[in-house]
Order: sequence, then structure tokens, then C-alpha cells
Amino acid sequence: MLMTGAQYIESLRKLKTRVYLFGEEVKNWVDHPMIRPSIDCVAVTYDLAQDPQYTDLMTAKSILNSETINRFCNIHQSTDDLRKKVKMQRLLGQKTASCFQRCVGMDSFNAVYSTTFEVDKKYGTTYHQNFLKYLKFVQEKDLVVDGAMTDPKGDRGLAPSKQKDPDLFLRIVERRPDGIVVRGSKAHQTGCINSHEHLIMPTMALGEDDKDYAVSFACPTDADGIYMIYGRQSCDTRKLEPGADVDLGNHKFGGQEALVVFDNVFIPNDRIFLCGEYDFANMLVERFAGYHRQSYGGCKVGVGDVIIGAAALAADYNGASKAAHIKDKLIEMTHLNETLYCCGIACSAEGYPTAAGNYQIDLLLANVCKQNVTRFPYEIVRLAEDIAGGLMVTMPSERDFRSDLKVGKKGETIGDICNKYFAGSPTCTTEERMRVLRFLENICLGSAAVGYRTESMHGAGSPQAQRIMIARQGNIEGKKALAKAILDIK
Amino acid sequence: MKCGVRFCGGCNPKYDRGAAYEFVRQGLQEEIQFEYAQEDTIYDILLIFDGCTNCCASYDAYMTRRGIVKIWQAEDLDKTIQILKDFE
Repeated sequence: MLMTGAQYIESLRKLKTRVYLFGEEVKNWVDHPMIRPSIDCVAVTYDLAQDPQYTDLMTAKSILNSETINRFCNIHQSTDDLRKKVKMQRLLGQKTASCFQRCVGMDSFNAVYSTTFEVDKKYGTTYHQNFLKYLKFVQEKDLVVDGAMTDPKGDRGLAPSKQKDPDLFLRIVERRPDGIVVRGSKAHQTGCINSHEHLIMPTMALGEDDKDYAVSFACPTDADGIYMIYGRQSCDTRKLEPGADVDLGNHKFGGQEALVVFDNVFIPNDRIFLCGEYDFANMLVERFAGYHRQSYGGCKVGVGDVIIGAAALAADYNGASKAAHIKDKLIEMTHLNETLYCCGIACSAEGYPTAAGNYQIDLLLANVCKQNVTRFPYEIVRLAEDIAGGLMVTMPSERDFRSDLKVGKKGETIGDICNKYFAGSPTCTTEERMRVLRFLENICLGSAAVGYRTESMHGAGSPQAQRIMIARQGNIEGKKALAKAILDIK
Repeated sequence: MKCGVRFCGGCNPKYDRGAAYEFVRQGLQEEIQFEYAQEDTIYDILLIFDGCTNCCASYDAYMTRRGIVKIWQAEDLDKTIQILKDFE
């Protein structure tokens, strides 16, 4: 059954999620002004699935029973599914200009689906059956699941089991007949507070000494022992200003990250998908990372589309749109944005079936995709700032633009003065010009910069992680053979 | 005549597909009954609004007696209306 956005929001109210922000527990986090934009963003993933104009991307047929499900709960069954995933993410980026948070769950479903199949084949375990049962639950209820991989990691030079504090990587601390107890945390968890469930995965390849860290499981967001500490974002407290609208930039939507703490949480056996089989940790990590690196070829492109549109509007409202250098900058932004899309589509089109039967993206091309995503958004926003001009970071507040405090010799108010001196082209009102410039300010260096810039850098793995994968997949020996063949070198 | 309507997913449409559908529907409402395509219904025609030349809308699950008409650019709206009229 597909929920509506409103039903999704109401479903969150039924959870007993523990959320902490500014040193206090947030009792009504659903309506908290700093958190609500991110919830509204996730709600769009539900609402668009109800709209016939978007269902071809937003929905799919379940691999379990061919029922119509939200594509965010889908197991990819073809390269067409992989391409539609990227297109769906571009669509959502266009509709929200934000991180819409639901992709991590979808990427973890697909990685866990194929990895559990192969673990069971080697060890005779029943993890794949456990996961199918869980997947049925998620699909039937149309849930948001936080795919949780990243541990805080502590000293990056030491393996998990060698850390001074063993909790710096999430691990099994107790094994019982009916399940396991886990302790640790997962950092930078996108959308975790807005999720119904968490699906945990290990964060790196592991050796035998680290087998307690080779764990994958699912649990409800409000399971006993779980709590979350909200991550600050640049300019986040603007959302607390009474009546804030224009100054927020994007007043409708936003992203969210938090630290999710697992304080001796019990996980029953039927929710466990990996438990000590350390030799499969790397497979799970690589496959999840591959899918998630593919995702950025969709979501960031959609946000990029909106940035390009806003930059073009800024040029119009500044009266500068006819200048040749402005046109060229917009061309360059488009070129960079579509290059990212090319990468997302390429790794999808070159996908292949796993042993479990679901489709995996081409790993080399997915890592190339993400490597480009670590660079191009920075250039796109640099060009947007160039086009917008310095006013985007020096404008008075919207309260000043609305102020009726008299300051001028002829009784002009602060609002009058602001509207007079910041007027642009006659094709727009001063407020419209402000709105566009504040949007660009927000995405370039405000709260939305988290989702467009730094997340582009580090989300789904930092740049060096992709370079390692490109090196592994790049087949230099094969390329040497190509050169030798042409040069008649034996 | 009964016409099932299907849209591509709209990831990057080059024209307003919803407005295009409304234009076609208004132009032919006396002659053709339009509805969003359902999988359990057999239509005389399936009309697909693709947002671009990629034409990636899926339609295998839908049934039609007389065929499929696809449109992928706004310039073809009048032609599409004529094609649908000619089916009658």
C-alpha cells in the first residue's frame, strides 16, 4: 500500500524516537522548525508516487509479489530499473532542491539482498530469508529506512578491534540464543530521524580479529537503547527566527544528519543479516557504496538543475542575462551537471545481474560518477555565485525589507530604502530578486550547502575511496596489453 | 472510443506534460473518453506522454485493442489530436 505524504508524516508521530538537539530532548520533533523541512522533503517521495505524471519513475513492481511499491523500496530487477532509479532521483532533486534522504535505504536493501544470498550459499545461514521477510514488511508498510554504514572510526590508522575505545565501531557485545546485543554508533546518518527503521551494515573490509564488527541487522528507529543527536548545519538557526521565509533560501525543504547511538540494543535473530562472517563485510560495503555512488548521478543533478535555473533567474533579475560571459557560465554549469547525469546513466546501463538475481551497477563507472560528483558541484556553485554577485551574502534581512521603521528625512522606512536600493530589473519585484539570491546563498554556503557541497564530497565515500576502487577496477594490465598489441611488443 | 493515458516519470521533461494532456483532452472530449491507464482495463488506444526523445515510459502492463500513440514534444500536439481523430 502506498502512503501519501500526509500519512507518512502522521506515521512518524506514532514513533517514540529519541531526538536531542542543543543539549535537550526534543519531544515534538515532527513539528520542530529546524527538523520539519527535512520531513517535508521525504514526504515528497510519497506524494509524487501518487501522481500519474510521475508514477513511472516513482513506483515499481515488487520482486516478491509483483505488487506496486514505491521505487525507494525496490530491488532492482533490470538495467531499466537502475536507469529509472537515477531518473527518479533527478526528478526529486528538481522538486526539492535538497537531499531527500530516502536513497540510502534503497541502496542498502539491494546490497544486503545480494550479499546475504552469497553468505548463505557459503555458510548455510538463513540471512537471505530473514532479509526477504524484512523486505516484505518494508514494502507492505511503505517505510523509510535509514541505511546506516558509517562508523565514527576514531583513529583511522587502527583496525576496529585495535581502537582504544572499542565502541568507535558498532559491534556485537553479547550473543544470546534469541538474538544479539549491539553497541556503538553510526555517524552522519542522513534522514535517520525521519526514518521508521534502520538497516545497519559494516563500514569497511574486516579481518578475523574484527569479526564482532561484521554485523548487519535491522531495527525500529525507536528500539530500546537507540537515540539520536542532531547534526548542526550552517545558518540552521535562521529556521528558528519568527516568520522566517525569504531568509531561509529554500523555505520548503531541507536535509538532515544525526549521530545514531546504539546503547546495548537487542536485535532478534530474524532481523540479523550478517553476524561475524567478516569475509563478506567488504562485499556488502562495495555493493552498497556502488549503488550509493550511482545515486549521486541523479540526486545532485536534479539539485543542479534548480541551481542553474536560479542562477539564470539571478542574471535576469540583475539585468545581465544578455552578457556573453553569463551565457557561457550557464553553458558550463549545464555541461558539468549533465556530465554527472551521463555517469549515473552509464553505470546503470552497464549493470549486471548478481547471483541473487538483482541488478548491480557497473562498479568502475559508479565510482567515476561519484569522483566527478566530489568536484563538479563545487564548480557549479562557484559559477552560480559569480553570476549572482556579492549581494547574495550582503543583503539585509527580510525583516529589514519589511520594516516600517522611519529612518529617512522624508519619512522613508527601512523597508522603503531596502526596496529602493536593491531593486534590479523591472521584470521582477525586489522581493523576487531577494528570494533567488537567498536561495543561492543557502545552497552555496547555508544549510543546503551540507547536502549539495560537503555531501557531494564525502557522501557515499570520500574522494580517495573512489580512487581506490577506480584503481582496482581500471584494468591497467589489460590496457598495457592493448598498447603492446599496437606497438608489436611481445 | 476509450483512451488510456500514461506518462513517463518526468525526470527532465522538455515540455509540460500535464498541460499537454489537458490540451488534447479538451480538444477531443466530445469524441474520446480519456482516463489514466489502469492495468486491468483494455483500451482502444494507449496515449503516452513522454517528456523527451528518450521515450522511456513503460507500458507493457497495459492492454490496447488498436495500438499506442506516443508524443514526446509539444510541437506534435496538433498532429497527435489528428492521429487520434483518424483512429475513430
